[in-house]
Amino acid sequence: MGFVLRALRRSKPFLQSQLSRRSPNPTPLRWISSTSALSKPESSAAAEPEPVPAPERPRTPVGGARLHFASPAEAIEVFVDGYPVKIPKGMTVLQACEAAGVDIPRFCYHSRLSIAGNCRMCLVEVEKSPKPVASCAMPALPGMKIKTDTPVAKKAREGVMEFLLMNHPLDCPICDQGGECDLQDQSMAFGADRGRFTETKRSVVDKNLGPLVKTVMTRCIQCTRCVRFATEIAGVQDLGMLGRGSGEEIGTYVEKLMTSELSGNVIDICPVGALTSKPFAFKARNWELKGTESIDITDAVGSNIRIDSRGPEVMRILPRLNEDINEEWISDKTRFCYDGLKRQRLNDPMIRGPDGRFKAVTWRDALAVVAEVAHQVKPEEIVGIAGQLSDAESMIALKDFLNKMGSNNVLCEGNGPSLLADLRPNYLLNSNIAGLEKADVFLLIGTQPRVEAPMVNARIRKTVRATQAKVAYIGPTTDFNYNYDHLGSGPHTLLEIAEGRHPFCSTLLSAKHPAIIVGAGLFQRQDFLALFSAIEAIAKFGKVIKPDWNGLNLLLLNAAQSAALDLGLVSNHNESIPSAKFLYLMGADDINLEKLPDDAFVVYQGHHGDKGVYRANVILPSAAFSEKEGTYENTEGCSQWTVPAVPTVGDARDDWKIVRALSEVAGVCLPYDNIGAVRARIRMVAPNLLSVDERESSTVSVEMKPPFAEKLSLAPFRKAVDNFYMTDSITRASKIMAQCSATLSKK
Amino acid sequence: MAFTMRAVKVPPNSATVEEARRRTIDFFKAACRSLPAIMDIYNLDDVVTVSQLRSTISSEIRKNAHITNPKVIDMLLFKGMEELNNIVEHAKQRHHVIGQYVLGREGLVHELGSKDQGVSEFLKKFYTTNYF
Amino acid sequence: MASVVRGVFKAMREKGLGNFIKEIRDEGYLKCLSDGNLLQTKIHNIGATLVGVDKFGNKYYEKLQDTQYGRHRWVEYAEKGRYNASQVPPEWHGWLHHITDHTGDELLMLKPKRYGAEHRENLSGEGEQYIYHSKGHALNPGRRDWTRYQPWQSKDN
Repeated sequence: MGFVLRALRRSKPFLQSQLSRRSPNPTPLRWISSTSALSKPESSAAAEPEPVPAPERPRTPVGGARLHFASPAEAIEVFVDGYPVKIPKGMTVLQACEAAGVDIPRFCYHSRLSIAGNCRMCLVEVEKSPKPVASCAMPALPGMKIKTDTPVAKKAREGVMEFLLMNHPLDCPICDQGGECDLQDQSMAFGADRGRFTETKRSVVDKNLGPLVKTVMTRCIQCTRCVRFATEIAGVQDLGMLGRGSGEEIGTYVEKLMTSELSGNVIDICPVGALTSKPFAFKARNWELKGTESIDITDAVGSNIRIDSRGPEVMRILPRLNEDINEEWISDKTRFCYDGLKRQRLNDPMIRGPDGRFKAVTWRDALAVVAEVAHQVKPEEIVGIAGQLSDAESMIALKDFLNKMGSNNVLCEGNGPSLLADLRPNYLLNSNIAGLEKADVFLLIGTQPRVEAPMVNARIRKTVRATQAKVAYIGPTTDFNYNYDHLGSGPHTLLEIAEGRHPFCSTLLSAKHPAIIVGAGLFQRQDFLALFSAIEAIAKFGKVIKPDWNGLNLLLLNAAQSAALDLGLVSNHNESIPSAKFLYLMGADDINLEKLPDDAFVVYQGHHGDKGVYRANVILPSAAFSEKEGTYENTEGCSQWTVPAVPTVGDARDDWKIVRALSEVAGVCLPYDNIGAVRARIRMVAPNLLSVDERESSTVSVEMKPPFAEKLSLAPFRKAVDNFYMTDSITRASKIMAQCSATLSKK
Repeated sequence: MAFTMRAVKVPPNSATVEEARRRTIDFFKAACRSLPAIMDIYNLDDVVTVSQLRSTISSEIRKNAHITNPKVIDMLLFKGMEELNNIVEHAKQRHHVIGQYVLGREGLVHELGSKDQGVSEFLKKFYTTNYF
Repeated sequence: MASVVRGVFKAMREKGLGNFIKEIRDEGYLKCLSDGNLLQTKIHNIGATLVGVDKFGNKYYEKLQDTQYGRHRWVEYAEKGRYNASQVPPEWHGWLHHITDHTGDELLMLKPKRYGAEHRENLSGEGEQYIYHSKGHALNPGRRDWTRYQPWQSKDN
């Protein structure tokens, strides 16, 4: 058979010329060569001698990546498809190929996970090697000659693909991964055009991993990416591999839900449709969606996300790569809070009538009522509170408006009574999230990063895994996903360390890059200033602040917090709320309004009917973060922009526009008409908010401190976040988050 | 389209403003007479009354009160007649009629008053839409 | 003709005059006087074989002799006043239109029980409530809500 084919192929030019000579108008005759040409690589290689590679331009690495050489001596040279490429020592063959611009197909290999080498898709031919080698697990050696497009490599991939597809169901039309599936794409590019498998396929029982991750285990190709993600990055030992051979399957060893705050990421890393998003199941196809690159505001980290929307609906949220903040992961709260954007929305301006019921009115009437009442009270009785989801533009507008009305009582919820807002290093994560990887000793004071900022926690865990850094913790009992020493639960331990009486002091002193992380939950304490000076004493004692390393960090809780501090929304709510007669809540739901006088007039401007609405007299509907352009500063002082992905609902308006319109109706018109002008105003107050995606390093020394009078109380620290899944108005409105907190959060 | 063209009569040009004025009044009367039928075929009873539609028509006509050239008036009349025919022939859908004659471009047509006098351009736009 | 008259008298004698008049009215003989179509159908019916009666009461006749080909099957509607062709259910439609020689009753035995909606006659022009309205139409009582978000409702309402 092979001989006949070869003979035909040899005679092809001759036959073709004969045929074309006979017919004056030659129909294009095509010779169908079957894959049997590839089934005998040696013979076909012999038949068609290797063409000499024509000199081309030097290839660029995959994705435009740049190589980092520790020293020139570390570089080795390998040849990929005949092209010489210089790579650092210790790279694998697959990475060398990527540096040479050749994308090797792979399923199990993931650059942020350990190497497993079990899918065999990345087989390449290496000269003087008897068999094709799995490039992801093979270190590149000097002078290695790697061939990625030879018949041997092609045949190897085709064979692997055939084996993978043997037990893979043909259910792409009903699979949620369809369209963004690695197996689909790679079988199109590298697979054979037919299968030879006629037996029955195996099937695997689906596992219940909780309300977020849907499993269709028959589709699993055993790449073990999810197992490695769970153990290495998420730090939970929930997933594992059971059985051998064709009985091999991924599962939780016993019937158990996956209780990790990062569990949604297994959906992204799964190369097939075995793990998909449960809330997104059968809702949309990925090619129907419009992606908008935005940022997340459910915590203070400001993870980079892509909001996928269809029409006026947010369909899902995916992470976006940002090495400095969230790498390529996001927390479950970020990923699955989106259904909260569709529920409990405020869509019309409303006024509470004398009978205590809300009635929808026009903007004209609502603003007129608010402006009238604002003029009836004394200026110092006007209080404005920005919520934890407010953007910088609306906060500066609110502050300017209240200042023009004669009041300076503007604050941001979560920022507590006494603050050190004069110097930026006093409220920022000074060593940066990425910089935490350098630290070798962590001291966490009153913070549970796992629930307060999962991405920061993932960074700490990464550091602990990579360098065995020590973690010490002061605060209430909580669970970490890495080893830690629980030093104590209150300021008492803090004082001991500050005075050098604690055994931890020696660890702190021996550290090269010690990092202290203070939780923003402590802002709520009356003795915060005293507490902070004790922490500073520890920092001084432990030499935490060095010329090249500032390890004294504050970990904020809310997206609006640092921008509010930058803009000077720093009034004391304990003093202002009891005397308020006109309270302007800009999305503030978590502020304690018990002390508010009963005759106070409350305006609630926000996007969700949450706690704040029930005390409100007037409701002004505004846009949520997915619907507006806004500047948010994250906990490390990096400001980023959200981008509108979907239109606003109902009759809602952007936050700063509402304040601007109200100011005009009230007769104290603010001088900006568009977002550029608002930003120009921000430039006068806090120019760092405008340098997007940059961190401005602090240069001021932290020696200058205002004097404080409070005494340090010895009350133990309390948890800042009770329920990880429900922290703000969007997540509280979300059904998925309610399910999560019912099933997953530990009581 | 053909039936519209058939229905729209093209009279000879008006010689004087007086004649054009008479024709305008005739047109207004014709439009008012067709209003009950329009209310019926578009089911407008729950959104608007005949008198409101009548005042909408008259305000649309009054918008062009400053025009004195009889030729221009004739042209506008022609357009108005064409539009009226389109509506009467059910060539439009319910939301077209509601959108154009019940709700105007800026909220309710018959609510447009002198309320927005003296406010800034920003506020005027703010009252109508979020996107400007 | 004589046999017809004899039959009438026979029926009158058997049923009594009151029942006979009631039957005459129900069968539409009185309507025949004003409706020529019905009268013609009734005249046709004389000597024809009744092939079947469907669940609505429509009667299907066939007469193979002495009729023009193509006019040998017809229906007498149960509704004598406001009859129209859409009152014929689908199982009889094929027989009536010479698509098949199987009668509706035979075809009904083949029909799967699970599928198919109940036959409804076309009620166009019979009033607003019978008109089909698309799912977004203003007059559709179950008008679909295209809003993609759920607005907040205050609890005290």
